[in-house]
Amino acid sequence: MKFTRRVTFGLVASALMSTAAIAQDMPAPLDNPEEVTIALVRYLSTGDFFQAYLAGVESQADALGVDLRVFDSRQDAALQADMVDQAIALGVDGIVIQHGLTESMKEAAQRAVDAGIKVVAFDVNVENAAIPQIEQSDYLLGKLALEQAIADNGDSWDAGYVYVPGIAPLDRRHVAWEEVKEANPGIKEVAQMGTLDNPIANANANQARSVLQANQSISVFFAPYDEFAKGVKIAVDEAGLSQDVSIYSADVSTADISAMREPDSAWKATVATNPAVVGEVSVRALAIMLTGGDPGASVIVPPTLITQAFLNEKDIKNMDDLSANMPQFAHADVAMTDWMPLPSR
Amino acid sequence: MTDANAEQASKPSAAAGRAWSYYAIRYGFLCLLIGLLIYFSVFAPGFAGPRSAVFIFQSVAITGILALGVTCTLVVGGFDLSIGSVATSALMLSAYVMVVMEQSAFIAVMACLVMGAVVGAINGFLIVKMRVPDLLATLGMMFLLIGLQRIPTEGRSISTGMTLPSGATAEGTFSPAFLWIGRHRFDLVLDNLIPVPVILFLVIGVFVWVFLELTRHGRLMYAIGSNERAASLAGTPVERYKVLAYMISGVLASVGGILLAARLGRGDIASGNNLLLDSVAAALIGFAVLGAAKPNAFGTAIGALFVGVLLQGLTMMNAPYYTQDFVKGAVLVVALMFTFALSSRRGGGGH
Amino acid sequence: MSTPACQLIGIEKAFGQNRVLRGIDLSLSSGEVTVLMGANGAGKSTLVKILCGVHAADGGEIRLFDEAYAPMTPSEAIDRGVVTVHQSIDDGVIPDLDVATNLMLDRLTAKSSGFFVRKRAIRAEAARIEAMMGLDLDPRTIVADLGVAERQLIGIARAMARNPKVLILDEPTSSLSAAEAERLFLLIERLRETGVAILYISHRMSDIRRVADRIVSMRDGRVAGVFEGHNLDYEGAVTAMLGHAMTAVDVQVTSGGEPVLQLENLRILPGSEPVNMTVHKGEVVAVTGLLGSGKSKLAAILFGLAQPDGGTMKLAGRSFAPRSVREAIVAGVFLCPKDRASNGVVRDFDITGNLTLPFLERHSNLSFLSRRRERRRTNEMISELGIVCQGPGDGITTLSGGNQQKVMVGRWMAEASQFLVLDEPFQGVDIKARRDIGRNIRETAGNRATLVFVAELDEALEIADRIIVLHEGHVVGEHQNADVDVTRILAEVSGQVAITA
Repeated sequence: MKFTRRVTFGLVASALMSTAAIAQDMPAPLDNPEEVTIALVRYLSTGDFFQAYLAGVESQADALGVDLRVFDSRQDAALQADMVDQAIALGVDGIVIQHGLTESMKEAAQRAVDAGIKVVAFDVNVENAAIPQIEQSDYLLGKLALEQAIADNGDSWDAGYVYVPGIAPLDRRHVAWEEVKEANPGIKEVAQMGTLDNPIANANANQARSVLQANQSISVFFAPYDEFAKGVKIAVDEAGLSQDVSIYSADVSTADISAMREPDSAWKATVATNPAVVGEVSVRALAIMLTGGDPGASVIVPPTLITQAFLNEKDIKNMDDLSANMPQFAHADVAMTDWMPLPSR
Repeated sequence: MTDANAEQASKPSAAAGRAWSYYAIRYGFLCLLIGLLIYFSVFAPGFAGPRSAVFIFQSVAITGILALGVTCTLVVGGFDLSIGSVATSALMLSAYVMVVMEQSAFIAVMACLVMGAVVGAINGFLIVKMRVPDLLATLGMMFLLIGLQRIPTEGRSISTGMTLPSGATAEGTFSPAFLWIGRHRFDLVLDNLIPVPVILFLVIGVFVWVFLELTRHGRLMYAIGSNERAASLAGTPVERYKVLAYMISGVLASVGGILLAARLGRGDIASGNNLLLDSVAAALIGFAVLGAAKPNAFGTAIGALFVGVLLQGLTMMNAPYYTQDFVKGAVLVVALMFTFALSSRRGGGGH
Repeated sequence: MSTPACQLIGIEKAFGQNRVLRGIDLSLSSGEVTVLMGANGAGKSTLVKILCGVHAADGGEIRLFDEAYAPMTPSEAIDRGVVTVHQSIDDGVIPDLDVATNLMLDRLTAKSSGFFVRKRAIRAEAARIEAMMGLDLDPRTIVADLGVAERQLIGIARAMARNPKVLILDEPTSSLSAAEAERLFLLIERLRETGVAILYISHRMSDIRRVADRIVSMRDGRVAGVFEGHNLDYEGAVTAMLGHAMTAVDVQVTSGGEPVLQLENLRILPGSEPVNMTVHKGEVVAVTGLLGSGKSKLAAILFGLAQPDGGTMKLAGRSFAPRSVREAIVAGVFLCPKDRASNGVVRDFDITGNLTLPFLERHSNLSFLSRRRERRRTNEMISELGIVCQGPGDGITTLSGGNQQKVMVGRWMAEASQFLVLDEPFQGVDIKARRDIGRNIRETAGNRATLVFVAELDEALEIADRIIVLHEGHVVGEHQNADVDVTRILAEVSGQVAITA
């Protein structure tokens, strides 16, 4: 039932012509979706993750048949706030705020709410009870990866850890690392490193080389960001330690999949939320609000564990293969209603 | 009487002071480098040894090659802000040629080198013919390239199996021959010791040094940097040499980008600004080496190594990431002090 | 007679080991022009810098109107009434601003001047200063658009406007034409009458004869002689400055062999009369004239930097129309440009690097330089020209101005040329170095044709076989350098003689 429905909606949405068919199913104002405009106001945009997030937002907006405007502030906090005001002036019905700084976005978000616009925020806390938070659970990302590391290596090993404090998602993943260390006295962090100099993978590879040389006892590297993991993997390969060190990380991309699947790859597992799914969930939560519903104060998109063994077993080559083979990765059953149209896959 | 005595006494000490400052200018920086090596060997476990030495060379090979290009433009009194983005454009271009267009490693390398040369020639053209100041012309080029490298893939990284904007899947791969450039290691004493990028860095370093120091072309480029008008009135084809300098800079930056691609094994989007800043720092630190007080290839290589040694040692001693920039900045400031304060003292007070 | 305005007692100054001033005693009187003479490196510039607050003296004291005077900064010196016009013109003006603002700059920097710029008031005041100076410039003109001489006059006018009690002029006429210099001299006379003490530094004998009340000669950081009274002993002053008597130059005039360079109906300046001129092998021809006479333009044409307005040039019978410096050099035409600091000296290089710059190809195999060959040639030139240095590896900036100029001239004499052009080879050079350079030019002149552009007639008389006078782009006089009628040439230079066709 559900499957056929999804296919139907997908086909209809991508056909773009006959939105009337679904419109009857959707409550007001989405019964007339071409009259509805939503805005996506972005802080971060370059990189695979943000590209995929945008794709998710676009496809869900398409499926709903609403008009999507994308505002991209390119890491300019002040500009992002101005863009919210632009969206207000444009008379949009809903706004998705994607990343940003609490300080700069708090008041702009309040102005939007005051103007009667429905707002959801992804990965930025705007301190507003009327605005639901869409989150990928960074804490869970870290937690699941570390649980896998313990499952593979036991609870007593020397670890290298990659961390740059002050970056919100990394800080949340760091909480999981602290907890795991607390709970397992056998796990010792012998070296901490990390840099965001770009190219990030190259800069971290240089550091990891030094760390591995100085600390030969390391058998597990926890690198909770895929660029970090990529750098550590280069260093492990260059040091000829692929057999001796295991890398656990977070996030995933097509390139990461091929790196994990290289012969003898030290990169054993990663935990990820599909950014496209997060994008879809953001729009769905907004749609629920537009129709007068309440998606809840916080909408959490659960992450998925992806192991090297699983990738090899299913011969997964890219993100599309991954979605096809991992339903929980392709679709998160959050912010759903029975009338909600889903993008085609 | 007392005055005369004081004068007598002050003379030898003044002479000694001058000798001291001469040696401080000439060898101070090298002594500092040796001191650091000893310090880290004692206090950072695993620092001393051939593998560790090779790591250092490897970690600076790419910025070192870029810095040699910077040196060439500094020699003619110019500056190239676009090298970081040329390198990352080469990174994307090589990945695009191999993964999306499914061409060979040779074609990928040639495409990158040609791209570097063309970008250098355009920079040179803007500066020499259009009279755009060098910083502005290369700044423009930098932004242009940062944007351009994202257009073919709509801002995505390139790797095998990626979904193209057209919806198809990229089937090409990084050829083993290409990855060899970034990853192969030659045996020397120990098995698999010296990686290809290190060899390339040393070879290019020697080439640039020979070109700048031993050939008349290098001499004329230095003359242009010191007094462009005088060089021109002495019959030097100033414009040709300036364009040449930017082309060398562009080609070396693209070599850096090729090595980066071969090491990463995928086409990552990046602005390359850290590459730019690190390589400019290396070239400027090079001013201080042997009291040269001018851009020079040997100094640039030593400058790059100096930063590499410091970062390697600090990382081994578990210093946090933010100390890195601090240390780079401190080294640069000290080097500039060596260069400008001490060497102007050497020149005397004027008339 | 007159009261001492400024007294220097036992001034000492050293830079490192180099003792530049070794106890200078000097007094300047109000209403008197004291000329300070000295070879390059005698310490004149250092003395000026101490007086105007750039350097502090190591020993001795200065008294200004019987009060202690030891300025720490240039502005303190100006506050005390000691105003200096520096040799380097661009120190005195801001090129991007207009004439009025430049003239009134001190008023703008004064604390009492208020926040807003009152343009009209400034222009009116500037116009008043211009009138006093006899300057005829629109106050709104941007200084960068003016010529060197006009900029120099603005710098001087600004100094005058500060109501100086002691005025120091460091080679003020070095870029002025005779007429402009005369205007300056009139001003100096007027200031002298109002009781200003003037210290005038110059190499030019003609200036010195014109304005000096008193001459002080400096040599090696000491005062070598003071000359005053009604009949100033110029010979004595020069002797004191050099440490030995000057022998007169005796030019053995040759008329030269076959023609090397021929100018045929060449129009140097737009609309000027065509010029015909021939320079022969073995001959040294001096071209003199005021600023704007076309001297510089002719030099530029010969070297491919500018194109004539018409006419042709022939080199050894073949057409010669260079479009770049390189083409001229390949054809065997070498040009030693004027203004060595901006056009010649490569500051980062040693003597060798500066000397061999244009002919590196001859010192290299397959582009690789042969340092040994370079150094050998440099050593030869050092001894030929008498360059005072420790060796060919000395940095060029460690040399005095005269020796730097020898290197610049040597650069173009190190290789054989068909035709050598020297533009102001004696600029900023003391008499000793001038004689060395002149002698060398004449000694080596046999195998080429030589053309020398000079502003000073003295210099032309010292070096040339033939003197050609340019005025407004055409030839107004031509003289064999034997029993020359100097007054006639001077009249031609200033344009007072009609063209003799």
